[in-house]
Amino acid sequence: MRPALLALIAALTSGAFQNVPSPKPITVSAAVSLTDTLTAIASEYANGGRGTVRFNFAASNVLARQIVSGAPVDVFVSADEAQMDLVAQAGLISDGTRVNLLSNQLAIVVPNDRPRTFRSVRDLADPAFKRIAIGDPAAVPAGVYAKQYLEKEGLWTAVASRIVPTGSVRAALAAVEAGAADAAVVYRTDARVALRATVAWVVPVAAGPRIVYPAAVVRTSPNVTEARRFLDFLHGASAVRVFERAGFAVLPVRAGAGPPRVPSRGR
Amino acid sequence: MDVWRIAWFTVLCAAGATAVMLPPGVLIAWLLARRQFPGRALIETFVSLPLVMPPVATGLILLVLLSRRGAIGRVLERFGIEIVFTWKAVVLAMAIMGLPLLVRTARAGFEQVNARYERVAATLGARPLRIFLTISLPLAWPSVLGGAVLAFARALGEFGATIVVAGSIPGETRTLAVAIYSFAETGQDVQVFRLVLVSIAIAFAALWTANWLVERRAA
Repeated sequence: MRPALLALIAALTSGAFQNVPSPKPITVSAAVSLTDTLTAIASEYANGGRGTVRFNFAASNVLARQIVSGAPVDVFVSADEAQMDLVAQAGLISDGTRVNLLSNQLAIVVPNDRPRTFRSVRDLADPAFKRIAIGDPAAVPAGVYAKQYLEKEGLWTAVASRIVPTGSVRAALAAVEAGAADAAVVYRTDARVALRATVAWVVPVAAGPRIVYPAAVVRTSPNVTEARRFLDFLHGASAVRVFERAGFAVLPVRAGAGPPRVPSRGR
Repeated sequence: MDVWRIAWFTVLCAAGATAVMLPPGVLIAWLLARRQFPGRALIETFVSLPLVMPPVATGLILLVLLSRRGAIGRVLERFGIEIVFTWKAVVLAMAIMGLPLLVRTARAGFEQVNARYERVAATLGARPLRIFLTISLPLAWPSVLGGAVLAFARALGEFGATIVVAGSIPGETRTLAVAIYSFAETGQDVQVFRLVLVSIAIAFAALWTANWLVERRAA
């Protein structure tokens, strides 16, 4: 049974390793919301003969705990700073490699059979919005941001009784798309790909919470050079195009904060 | 398309997990049904733990033990064996999550075997292993098989422990359940429904086959 299983699985997974330029791929643990963009960027990276990347996509808090527990990861791209801080506190970030890679904005979406355009965020207090879905503010970063924003705008107490906390930001969006919620606070990148929800309000960068996706090389990585090369590539022109098409803003690399070889190419 | 590869990989891993857990699972089930020994309650509880613990917690414990700084991982690394973030971690997570179902079902089967048969065989001079193989196991077989299929079905849908200890690495450790989660989180509903349909088909086939096998034996 065992040799047969091994052979079958080897045959099954061998396809993933065809045309491999470098024998040892680097492992990149990345927030699940980056699945499409990073996969596209990595295939450009591989096509250019720079090296292969294997991704591990999950919620950032799961990824952080994996790294802290000693999982073999070379690069970590988190959807929020708190999870990166957790890894940093464990002393597992390679010095000088942490960069703030991307930024996102919040957006309020409504079902597209009842489209609306807000004049200001205060329109959310309208009693027509009986159920407002947001990621659970106790656990989901998008929910934390949404609550912060609504509190800052002085709206939280007005809408608190109508808030439906969901297990992820995608679940909040799905609730609106299914017509189960009348509005949801989600990321602008999620709103962009939604089929049955439409954007009523995009939170201006200056008014909203600071939403940053940090990236860093993990200290225990055996391939620091390769890991750094991929991190640099994420700031390159072709990667920036992919990120921006998806609705992310690519942050400029601050002097001294990022990999030193990279000139600032972000906006 | 990826769907078939993911489905095939998941079935292989679940089958592997079932094969890995069968020998210890059947032994534990038989011991719990037939033997009094110190630490019996402890083993009983320990085996059932994955049923009551959140799967993510089980995954975290496995991760801490098996990663390169962990108690077991450190030893394995010396032999060049990597578990975390490989298909081996998928099989292991599935086996541990499925084990309680196998043990509990098989144990009930062993308990229903009339103990007199075993005692008679013993008075005729049969050794315990022979009694087990020629009397207890054949008579309890439908339950053992039923337990194995339940465990297999549980393994097919395993998510929480898998994503923690094996990760969600496309083409390497991504099972049906993990892929469904990933596609749902990135808004690819068409893929989600395809994978859900495939999962239902596989689970249906497994359970139907099990029922058929058990009924054929009983008839």
